[in-house]
Amino acid sequence: MSPTTNYLKLGAFALAGLTICANAAQAPVRIDVKSLTKNVEDVVVPLPNEVFGALNKLGSVNWKEYVRSQKGSNFTERPRIALLLGTVIADGFVAVQAQDTPAVKDIGQRVLVLAKAIGVGNSITPHAKAIIEAADKTRWESVRQELDRTQFSVQSAMNEVHDEKLSQLVSLGGWLRGTEVLTAVVNKRFSAEGAELLHQPDLLNHFQTQLQGMPEFKHPIIREIHDALVEVRPLIDKERITPEGVKKINDITTRIGNGIVTKE
Amino acid sequence: MNRFAKNFLVASSLSAVMLTMRSASLASVDDAQSFALQAAEPYVKEGFQVREDYWGGDLGGGEKKAVRQQLFKGNEYWFWMGTEVERAKISVHVYDQEGKLAEQGDGWEKGHFAGAHIIPKATGSYFIIVAIEESPEERTHWALVYGFR
Repeated sequence: MSPTTNYLKLGAFALAGLTICANAAQAPVRIDVKSLTKNVEDVVVPLPNEVFGALNKLGSVNWKEYVRSQKGSNFTERPRIALLLGTVIADGFVAVQAQDTPAVKDIGQRVLVLAKAIGVGNSITPHAKAIIEAADKTRWESVRQELDRTQFSVQSAMNEVHDEKLSQLVSLGGWLRGTEVLTAVVNKRFSAEGAELLHQPDLLNHFQTQLQGMPEFKHPIIREIHDALVEVRPLIDKERITPEGVKKINDITTRIGNGIVTKE
Repeated sequence: MNRFAKNFLVASSLSAVMLTMRSASLASVDDAQSFALQAAEPYVKEGFQVREDYWGGDLGGGEKKAVRQQLFKGNEYWFWMGTEVERAKISVHVYDQEGKLAEQGDGWEKGHFAGAHIIPKATGSYFIIVAIEESPEERTHWALVYGFR
């Protein structure tokens, strides 16, 4: 074997060793989170079914009780449609939990109507069809996936035409409805673990910051949501959330939820 | 060529260049996302629901970025990172709000793919730290997707 080949072999071993070291490199067990604050990406708002899944693991829930048949008013103001759209998609996740085929199909239609009203109907049509077809075949996992795709497509279409604020309202509407249902379930059968699911202070910060950046939306419902988040904040920003706290958050989110679906 | 026509030509060429650059940059994050989704694929069969939404951007070699995410106790999460730069080495790790490493021991790094697994002990915000450990490119596109069950 020539010296060159030996060197090449050694080099190859050294490289392999380096690769193994890189793969085996341990992450630091502790980092300074304060140093990260300037370099933190925005949050991805969890879908309602993420929290519903965690709730399900704490005991069986009669999801049929929480399926909403109220379709909501026909609004012409885009911010109101965006909020309602988020709420209706969240209702879709509730209906999937309840395995309620007619409700899911209604929601599929409703999502399409609202998306068209806000100008993003084209990107939603295939998803709405897929939701209806999957509900007919009781393929709930596919319905969940299509609801996620629907929300993502709606928001992407809005972001593409620089309607980011409307996109944020879709997320906010979904979060409010999800929180309304979560608190209703926990309120009915309180458990500390169920209440802990409400501990979401950073998400609340995220929504509050976004609402502060929407001074042009002068609808009373936007102001009401802003005030509601201020009320909710001290109730969830604690280690142990009390039954009274859960009840209060439910009252607040129910009031706001009614405001989102109803015309003043 | 008159002055108006000249200006118009320069402006439209600049716009075309900018548009091309923008779509090239978008395409690369999209490519990175498709690799992140590729890393997630085997987990879907294990019942993980992979979110459509994702984070993405570009980083230089040795640079890190933090992503803050709300996680719920009771759920199990995987975060998958990918880049289209095949010779890059990337990593992803999960920390709790106090900055303590919170992930399970089965996370992995395989060249331009990486994954981190967490079963949260508490509901709240967590930091997901993505890093381009090494890359032949000056800037490397990355994308991070997550799934839960």
